[in-house]
Amino acid sequence: MQTKKYLFLSLLATQLLYPAPKTTPQSEKYYHKSLEELLATETELKADIGSRSGERDTMYSDVPIDVITTQQIHLSGSLELSEILQKYIAGFNYPSASIKDGTDHSKPFTLRGLNPDQVLVLINGKRLHQSSLIHVNNSIGRGSSSVDLNTIPVASIERIEILRDGAAAQYGSDAIAGVINVILKGYGHKNRISTTYAQTHEGDGKTKQTDIFYSTPLPYDGFINITAEFRDNQKTNRAGADLRDLYAQGDPRNALANPITMHYGDPEAQNILLALNSEMIAQNGTTFYAHGIFNKRESEAGAIFRLPIEDRNNPTLYPDGFLPHIAPKILDYSLSLGIKDRLQNGIKWDLSYTNGYNNFHFYVHNSLNDSLGDSSPTSFDSGGTSYRQQVINLDLSKNLELLTLAGGIEYRKEHYTIYKGEPDSYRLGEFSNNAGAQGFPGFLPSNEVDAHRENVGLYIDAKFNPRPNLTLEVASRFEHYSDFGNTFDGKFSALYKPTQSLMFHGSLNTGFRAPSLSQSYFTSTTTEYVVNGLNQIGSFGVDSPVARDLGAVKLKPEISQHYTFGFVYQPISNLSLSADYFYNAIDDRILLTGNISGSISPQVQAILDSYNVTKARYFTNAIGTQTDGVDVRLNYHHKFDNNLLLKTNLAYHYNNTQITQINTAPSILGAAGEGILIDTLTKERITSGQPKHILSLYTQLTQGDWALAFNLKRFGGYASVLGEDLYRFDAKWVSDVEFSYQINARFNLSIGAKNLFDVYPDRWGDTGSDFYSTQGSLPYPPESPFGYNGRSYHICIEGRF
Amino acid sequence: MKKIIVAFLSLNLLLLASNQERDLQAVFIGRLAQFVQWNHPKEHLFRITIIGNNPFGDLLNRLYKKKKIDGKSVEIQYITRLEEIGQTDILFVALENQQEIQKVILYAIKNSILTIGTQRGFAQRGGIVQLSFVMQKPHLVINHKTAQYSNIKIQAPLLAIAQEIIKGDE
Repeated sequence: MQTKKYLFLSLLATQLLYPAPKTTPQSEKYYHKSLEELLATETELKADIGSRSGERDTMYSDVPIDVITTQQIHLSGSLELSEILQKYIAGFNYPSASIKDGTDHSKPFTLRGLNPDQVLVLINGKRLHQSSLIHVNNSIGRGSSSVDLNTIPVASIERIEILRDGAAAQYGSDAIAGVINVILKGYGHKNRISTTYAQTHEGDGKTKQTDIFYSTPLPYDGFINITAEFRDNQKTNRAGADLRDLYAQGDPRNALANPITMHYGDPEAQNILLALNSEMIAQNGTTFYAHGIFNKRESEAGAIFRLPIEDRNNPTLYPDGFLPHIAPKILDYSLSLGIKDRLQNGIKWDLSYTNGYNNFHFYVHNSLNDSLGDSSPTSFDSGGTSYRQQVINLDLSKNLELLTLAGGIEYRKEHYTIYKGEPDSYRLGEFSNNAGAQGFPGFLPSNEVDAHRENVGLYIDAKFNPRPNLTLEVASRFEHYSDFGNTFDGKFSALYKPTQSLMFHGSLNTGFRAPSLSQSYFTSTTTEYVVNGLNQIGSFGVDSPVARDLGAVKLKPEISQHYTFGFVYQPISNLSLSADYFYNAIDDRILLTGNISGSISPQVQAILDSYNVTKARYFTNAIGTQTDGVDVRLNYHHKFDNNLLLKTNLAYHYNNTQITQINTAPSILGAAGEGILIDTLTKERITSGQPKHILSLYTQLTQGDWALAFNLKRFGGYASVLGEDLYRFDAKWVSDVEFSYQINARFNLSIGAKNLFDVYPDRWGDTGSDFYSTQGSLPYPPESPFGYNGRSYHICIEGRF
Repeated sequence: MKKIIVAFLSLNLLLLASNQERDLQAVFIGRLAQFVQWNHPKEHLFRITIIGNNPFGDLLNRLYKKKKIDGKSVEIQYITRLEEIGQTDILFVALENQQEIQKVILYAIKNSILTIGTQRGFAQRGGIVQLSFVMQKPHLVINHKTAQYSNIKIQAPLLAIAQEIIKGDE
C-alpha cells in the first residue's frame, strides 16, 4: 500500500513538473499560419547514417546521432572541417601537433577518446580513404593513419552527421569509435562567393581565403555543384627563447639575450581545395551521380633547431645553427561515380565506384646532409608515401509493410607505396656519421614498398517495426581480406517509445579494424657508420627479415565489442534531453614498439648484427583496452514574440579508457618485452592524454538580418609524460563568438573571435628540460586540445548570386 | 493503481513528437487549395485523393474533419491505382515509380486536377506543385504552365512565395 502511495505521488509530481501541453496537434497549429510562415518553418533534423533504411529523424533514432547544420557551419567562423567538428561535437578531439614531422601538416583527430584510425569517414555515404601518412612521432594517434578531414572544402558541405556508436557490421572496418558522414550541398543551394581574413591576437597566423560555390541546375532537379577554395595560412609561433648556449663555451655571443630558435605552432600552408557534387536524373528516374574532392597542399613547419656547436651542424653552411623546415607537398583526391534507381518490384539499388588517393611527398629546406661536408645541398627531396583505395559497392534495399530489408556487396582494393628520396637526402657521405637530410632524412631505396590488399564484404540489414513505438534492427557483415582472412560482425539495436515524449534506445554490436597497410609495411631507416661498416636504424615492416627474427608477426585485426543505451526525453516540443552510456572493448590494438637494441640481450644483438641494424622497431598487436563513458545533450529553442529565435545546446561528454591487457611479448625480447610493446608515455597517451570530461554550451540568436553565436567549451584536464615523469594539465574554458549580418539580399558580413578570452594551456612547469618547461623553447604541452595560438579574429564577406 | 498508471501514460501519449515534414505536407495540401481555382463543375464535397503508399496515416482525416475548403466539406480518399482516381480536386502523388507518376500526371492534366508531389523533378515532369524540403525548410516549386494547361488558376500570392516557378503564358 505504501509503495502504491509513493508511486502515485511520484507520478503526480512528474505531471506537475512537466504538465502536458494543450493537446492541439502540431498540424492544427500549422494550419492557422500564413504560407510565408509555413515556408519558414524549420523541420526536424534528419540523417542518413547508421541504418540502410534511409533518412530518419535524428532525435528518434535507435543509435545516438549528432548533426551539424549548414547554419552552424556558417556560424562556426572556421575554415577547416576538423575545427568545426571540435567546436560542435563534445567527444571530438583535434589536438595540436608541432615538431611532429608529417603530423604537423595532417593533424589527427579522435572521437570518444579512441584512436584516429578507429573512426570511419564517409562522403555522401561512400567510404573516404585514409592518408598515406602514418603518425610515428609522439602525438595523439601515434601509430595510426587517419583520414585528413581538412581535404574537404567547408563551403561544399551541407551538413555533417556523426554516429556515436560502433557500426562495423554495417560499414566494415574502422567504424569502432563512430562514423562521420559528410553530406555535400545538393539540390536547392544558392551560388555564393566569400572571402575571409583572419589573424591571431599576437599578430601572426594571417589567413586569407576565397571560396566559391557554383550550382548549375539540370533537368528534373538534377545539379552540378562545384566548390573551389584557395587558402593561404601564415605560421603561428609560440616558442620560447632557446635556453641553451648556442655557441662554444666562452663565446661572448652566449651572453646575449636568448633568441627564439624554434617554430612551435601552426605550419605555413597553401591549400587549393575543390569539390564536385552532381546528380543527373534521367526521364525514367534513373539517377547518375558523381561526387569528389581534391586538395593540393604545400605546407612548411620547423623541426628541432640545430645548434651551431652541434656535430649535426656544418658551421661553414650555418654559422649560427639552423632550423630545418619540413615542407611536404600533399596531393589528395577522391571521386565517386554511381548509378541508382528503383526496380518495378520496389527494390532500390545503388551501384558505385570510388577511387581515393593520397600522396605525401616530403621535402626539406634550410637543412643539410652533414656527412656530405661543405658541398651538401640545403634542400632535399626526401621521398614519400602514397595510398590508393578503390571501392566497388552494390547496395540493395526494399521497404515492405513493417520491414525494411537491405544488403549488398563491396569490393575494396588498397595500394600503399613508399618511394625513395633523392640520394643526397639519405646517403651517408664521408665527412661525418650523420647521414641524410637533417629534419627529415629521405626514404632509402631499401625502404621502398609496393603493397596491395583486397577485400570483399557481404552485408545484410533488416529493420522491423512490429509496433508504431517499437523498432528492431539487426545487421551483419562478413568480410574476407587477402592478408589476414575473415571477419564476421553483427549488430542488434532497438528503439522503444513508451510514450510520445520518451524514447529508449540501445545497441549491441561487434566490430573490427583491419590493420592498415601503412602499419604492416611502414619502413623508414637511416644509415650510420659502425665499426664493421654501415648499419640501419629505424622502423621495419612486419614482414621484413629483421623484424620477423625480432618477433614480429603478421598483424591481426583489432577486434571490438560495443554496447550503448540511453534515452531521449522531450517533455515539450522545444526542449529535449538525451543521455547515452557507451562501452567499447578493443582487443589486439596495434602499436609501434619502442626501439629494440642490442642492449636487451646478446641474442638480440646477434640478430641485429646479422642484418647490420643498430636499432629496430615494428608494429604489433600489443594491448587490449576498455573505454566507457556518457554523452548528455540538452537542446532548447524558443521563438520570442519579436521573432527573436534562441537555440541552445548543452552537451557533456565523458570517456575513460583503461588498458586491460598487454599481449605477451615475443620471447626473444625477454624481460624487456612488455616495456618495448608499450612504454609509460604510450600508456599515458592512451589512458589520459586526452580530456576525459568535455562540456560545451552553444547558443545561437537570430532575428531578421542578424545572427549571433556563442560557443563555450570546457576541455577537461589531461596528462603528458616527460622522461618517466607524469605531468598534468588543468581543464580550460574556451569561448568563440560569431556575429553575422545580412547587409542586403546579396551580401552578408560576419565577424568573430576564436578563443575570445585568450586562454592558453598550462605550461609544463619546472621540468628541468631546455625544451619542455615553462621557460623552455616549447612551453606548452603538445596534446593541448585547443592548441596554443591564443585569441584570433576573423572577418568574412559573402556574396550570393 | 493500474488505472492511475494507464491514465498517466495516456496523458503522455498526447504529447508532441510528431513528424514535422509530414505535418507540413498535410497542411500545405489544404492551404494551397485556398489559392487555387478549378474550372470543373462544382461538387458538394472538396475531394483530396492520396494515390500510392499513404504517408499520412489518419492525419488528413483528423486535420480536415471539421474544415471547409472553398466552402465545402473535405473528403479524403486513399487509392493505389490510376483507375480509382475518379473525380477529385487535389491528387497527392505518393508513388515512387516514375512511369506510374507520369501516367497519373497526364490523367490529372486532362481532368483538371491539382497534383501535389514531393518527388525530385515532380514539377518538371508536369506535376503542378512540388513540395520538398531543402535544409530543413519547405521548398515549393510550381509548374504554372501545367496549371494553365489543366485549366487551373493559381492566384498571385501563391506564385509570389514559391521558390521556383515553371512559367506558362503570361
